[in-house]
Amino acid sequence: MGETVQPSWLSGSRTRLWSAARAARGLYRVLRANPLTFVGFLMVAFIAILAFLIVAVPFVTGLFGPPVSILPHDPNELLPCAIPTECATSPSAQYWFGTDNVGRDMFSRVLAALPLDLAIGFGVAGFALLVGTGLGLVAGFWDTPGTLGGALSIAIMRITDMFLAFPSLVLALAIAASLGRGTGPALIAIMITWWPFYVRLVRGEVLAVKHLPYVAAARAAGVSGIQILFRHVFRNILEPLVVYYTMDVGTVIVTFSTISFIGIGVPPTVPEWGGMVEAYEKLLLTAPWTVLAPGAAIFLTVLAFSLLGDGLRDILDPRSRRALVQTTTAPGLASKGAAEA
Amino acid sequence: MAPGRVVGIVGETGSGKSTLGQSIPRLLPEPPARIRQGRIVFQGSDLLSIPKWKMPIVRGTSIGMIFQEPINSLNPAFRVSDQLIEAVRIRKLRESGEAELFRPTEGFDYSKDRPVDPKEAIGRTFLPSAPEGRRPRAGRTSEELRKDALEYLRLVRINDPETILDLYPHELSGGMRQRIMIAMALSEKPTLLIADEPTSALDITIQAQVLTLMKELMDEVNTSILFISHDLGVIAEMADDVGVMYAGGIVEFGPVAEVFERPAHPYTKGLLESVPNRYKADGPLPSLPGSVPNLARLPSGCPFHPRCVFARPPCEPDPGPALEPVKGAPAGSNRRAACYYSEEVVRLK
Amino acid sequence: MGRSKVDLAIFVGKRVVWFVPVLFGLITITFFAGHASVRNPCAVWVGPHASPDTVRNCIEYFGVNRPVWDQYTGYLSNLFQGNWGKDPQGGQPVLPIILTLFPATIELLLAALFLMVVLGIPLGVIAANAGGRWPDHLVRLFYLGGWATPAYLGAVVLAIGIGPVLGLPNSGDFSSTPDPGWQLTHMSILDSILRLDTGALVDAIAHLILPAASLALLNLGIATRMTRSSMLEVLPLDYVKTARMKGLSDFWVLYKHALRNSLISTVTVLGTTAGSLLSWIVVVEEIFLWPGIGKYAFDSILSYNFAGTLGVVVFFAIVVVVANLVSDVLYGVLDPRVEWR
Repeated sequence: MGETVQPSWLSGSRTRLWSAARAARGLYRVLRANPLTFVGFLMVAFIAILAFLIVAVPFVTGLFGPPVSILPHDPNELLPCAIPTECATSPSAQYWFGTDNVGRDMFSRVLAALPLDLAIGFGVAGFALLVGTGLGLVAGFWDTPGTLGGALSIAIMRITDMFLAFPSLVLALAIAASLGRGTGPALIAIMITWWPFYVRLVRGEVLAVKHLPYVAAARAAGVSGIQILFRHVFRNILEPLVVYYTMDVGTVIVTFSTISFIGIGVPPTVPEWGGMVEAYEKLLLTAPWTVLAPGAAIFLTVLAFSLLGDGLRDILDPRSRRALVQTTTAPGLASKGAAEA
Repeated sequence: MAPGRVVGIVGETGSGKSTLGQSIPRLLPEPPARIRQGRIVFQGSDLLSIPKWKMPIVRGTSIGMIFQEPINSLNPAFRVSDQLIEAVRIRKLRESGEAELFRPTEGFDYSKDRPVDPKEAIGRTFLPSAPEGRRPRAGRTSEELRKDALEYLRLVRINDPETILDLYPHELSGGMRQRIMIAMALSEKPTLLIADEPTSALDITIQAQVLTLMKELMDEVNTSILFISHDLGVIAEMADDVGVMYAGGIVEFGPVAEVFERPAHPYTKGLLESVPNRYKADGPLPSLPGSVPNLARLPSGCPFHPRCVFARPPCEPDPGPALEPVKGAPAGSNRRAACYYSEEVVRLK
Repeated sequence: MGRSKVDLAIFVGKRVVWFVPVLFGLITITFFAGHASVRNPCAVWVGPHASPDTVRNCIEYFGVNRPVWDQYTGYLSNLFQGNWGKDPQGGQPVLPIILTLFPATIELLLAALFLMVVLGIPLGVIAANAGGRWPDHLVRLFYLGGWATPAYLGAVVLAIGIGPVLGLPNSGDFSSTPDPGWQLTHMSILDSILRLDTGALVDAIAHLILPAASLALLNLGIATRMTRSSMLEVLPLDYVKTARMKGLSDFWVLYKHALRNSLISTVTVLGTTAGSLLSWIVVVEEIFLWPGIGKYAFDSILSYNFAGTLGVVVFFAIVVVVANLVSDVLYGVLDPRVEWR
C-alpha cells in the first residue's frame, strides 16, 4: 500500500514547481508587454550580481591566501605620474574610465563604491519599509476612536504628518550635520527621516482595503482582527509596497550620495559616488570623465530601479494593467473574423 | 438599416453587443482594437476607409450615441450647460462649414473627398487652433446657443431646463442624466442613433419613463436607431427588427414579432424560453446551460454547438454556418439565421 | 459641509490651526538635535585659533552655557516676539536675512513648478494616449532618466558644462544686472516687470532659466507619471467617448475632457511635491549660488548656525503647508463633487 501513496513533500514540490512555472509565464507575458521593465529587471540583476562579486570574491579568496579583487586596480592606489595633482588621464584601454587628478583609476573607484551604495539603498529603504509598514498597519487598522489603538493611531499620524511637512533631505542634512560627519551619522539621519512615507502609504491602503465588501464579509464570518489584517489587508497592500520599495531603493541612493556630495557623509578616502562627484566637480571641464563616471554609475543604478518599479506599478495596479496589457494580449475586436480565420 | 427604422440588438452579457455598437463610429481604441475584416457602410461610404482624423466629422454630424451608465457618460467636471452647448456649437460649426474642409450632406461619400494636405490633417487633430474651440460665426452668440440647448432639454421633457442646465452631472438623478444624454445625442441631428443599453442601469419606473420618451421622440425626430439591450421585453417594445447576437456574431435577424414568435435559431429559442413568464408559474424555469464562450477561445465549428440541443455532425467540424434566409419562413419577411437546422427550429413550437 | 465660501474658509482655518502643533514639533526636534549633540557650538563658531577670551565672550553673548531647556523656552518666547536669534557669524538678526532671501527661493520654486506643469503634463498626455507603444516608452525613459539623475549632478553639469556653452550668466552672479537697485519684492522677474524694465526682465530670466530647468527636469517625472496614470484611468470611460461622439477632434477630447479630470490627481501630487522640491532646492541653490533661503539653509547647517537653521525650518514648513493647502483648494475647484470638510 505504501508504494502507491505519494510522499507529501513530492506533491508539494510539484505544486510549487507548477505555480513557479505559471509565475514565470506571467512574468514573461508582462515583460514582453513592457520592454522597459524588462531592461530595468536585467539591469538590477546585473548590478546586484556585480556588487556581490566585488564583495564576495576578495572575501572567499582571502580565506585561502592573499585576497584577489575583481577590480583592475586598488581604488586608492596612486598611479605613477610626474606632477602629483595633474595626473588626470583620459579613458584608455588600461584605465577604462581614465584616472583622477591624483592618478587613481576611476573604473576601480566607481566599482568599489557600488556595494556600499547598493547596500545603503536596500538597507535604509528596508528599515523604513519595516518600521513604516508596522506603524501604518497599526494606524490604519486599529483607528477606532476612544480605544488605545485609536489614541496610538492619532499619535502615529501626528508625528508622521510632522515629518512629512518638511523636506526630508533638509532634515536629514540638519541631523547628519549635528551628529558629526561620517557614514554612520549620514545613515542614521536618512533612517530617521525615511519611514514616514511608508506610514502614509500603508495607512492609506489599509483604510481603502478595510471597507471593501470581502473584508467586511470576513469580519461578519467571525475571522479575528489579526487574521483579517494578515490574510486580507496585508496581501492587498503588498503590491503597492513592492512598487514603492523598488523605486525607493534608487531614491535612497540618490539622497545618500547627495549628503556625501555636500561633504557630511562618507569621508573622502572611502569611494562613494556622491562624494566623488563633489571631489571632482571642478574638473568637469578639464577632465569630465572624473565627474561623469560616478555620475553615470548613480544614474544607471537609480534608473534600473526606477524602470523596474515604474513598470511593476503598471503591471500590479489593476487599473493601468487593464489599460496597458490589453494592447498586447486582447484578442482584438473582430472576434468573429478571428474565429473564421 | 433603413431610414427611420429601429433595429434591436439582443444577446447575453459578453456576446459583443456593445463592441458592435462602439465599432460603428470607431470609438474603440485602435490599437488594441482592430477591425480585421468586413465593412461599415454608412450613407454609401465605408467608414473603415475614412482616415481616422476625419471620423470626428462623421461622429459630430451623422451618428449619435447613448451609453449604458448615465453616471459615467457625462463628464463630472463640467456643468450640463457646458456639455450640451458644446455639442450644439460643434454641430453648428459643422453645418456652417466653418469647422470643415467640406460640408457633409446626406449620402456624402466621406472617403472620396479632395486630397488633404497631411500637415493640415495633423493640425486638425492635434493643434488647439482646430476650430472646435471657437464660437460659430453667423450671429451665434452664447445666448443663442444656450437657447438652443434649452430647446433640446424641453424636447426630452425636462420641466425646469433653466435650473438643470446650471447643475453638475453628480447633482442629477440617473434618469435625468440619461435624458440629457439623449438631448445631447439628438442635438447633433444624427441620421443614426446608437443606444447602448440606455435603460439597463435605471430603476424599473425610470426605465419605463425613458423608454416612453424615446418612443415619442422616434416619431418626432426622423432617425434610424440601433437599440442594444439584453432585455427581450424592451427590444420587443422598441424595435422593428431584431438581431440576436451570440459570441460576437449575429445568429438571427428579422422582424421582431416574427423572430420572437417563431425563432429560427436554437439560441434565440433558448433565450426566449428563459424569460420568466408570469402566467405559467408552475415547473422549473428553463434556462440555457453553460455560458457565452470566451471570445479569445471560441469552440471549433458553430460557436453555439456545445450548448445546443440540435447539435449534430455538420455543426462541430465545419465552421459556423453563415447568416442565410430561413427556408419555410413567410415570403418577403427578410428572416435570416445562422443555423444548419433553422428550418427544423422554425417548425417547432 | 458644502461648497460655499464659508465652508471653504472653515476648511482653510482648520488646516492652519492643525499646522501649529506640526510646526511646534518640528522646531523642537531640530532644536534638540542641534543643541543636544553639539555641546559647545562657540568652539566651532569662533574657529580653532581664537583666544579663550573670545570663546568666553561668545558663550556669554549667545548664552549657550545655559541649560538646554532654558535655551529652548527662551528661543520659543523670543520667536513669538519676532526675535528669531542672531547669526553667529555676523551677529545680524536671522529673521530679516531670511525675509530678504525667501522671495528668491519662491521665485525659483514657482519657475520650476511652472516648467513641470507646462512640460510635464503634455508629456503625460502624450504617453497615455500612446499607452504601451513607443512614444509611451520614450516619455517614460525621459522622466525616469530625470528622476534617476541626482539633483547635484544635473545642476553641476548644467551650471558648469551647459550654461557657458549657451552663454547664460552664472546664476548667482547678478553683476550683469542692468540696475542693481531693482530689488522691491526680491523676486527678480516680478521686480523687472514692476519697473517695466525689459532689459532687467531678460536678464532675470537668463539667470533663472538654468536653476529652474535643473529642478524641473529632474522632477518632471512626478507630474508626467501622475498625468499618465490618471489619463490611463480616464480614457476608457464613457464620458470621453461621449466627447468623441460630439465630433470633437482628438486634441479637444484629450486636453479638455480627459485631462480636466486627470488633473484632479495630478494637482494633489504636485502639491505634495513641493516638499521634495525644497529638498533639491537646497542643493541647486548652493550649486548655482542662487541667493535664496536654500543656500542659506545649506550654509547654516554646515556652520552650526542654529538660529538660521531653525528659521529656515519654519519657512520651509510654511511653504509645504501652503503648497498642500493650495493643492487641496485646487482639487476642490477642479472637482465639483468635492465638499469642503
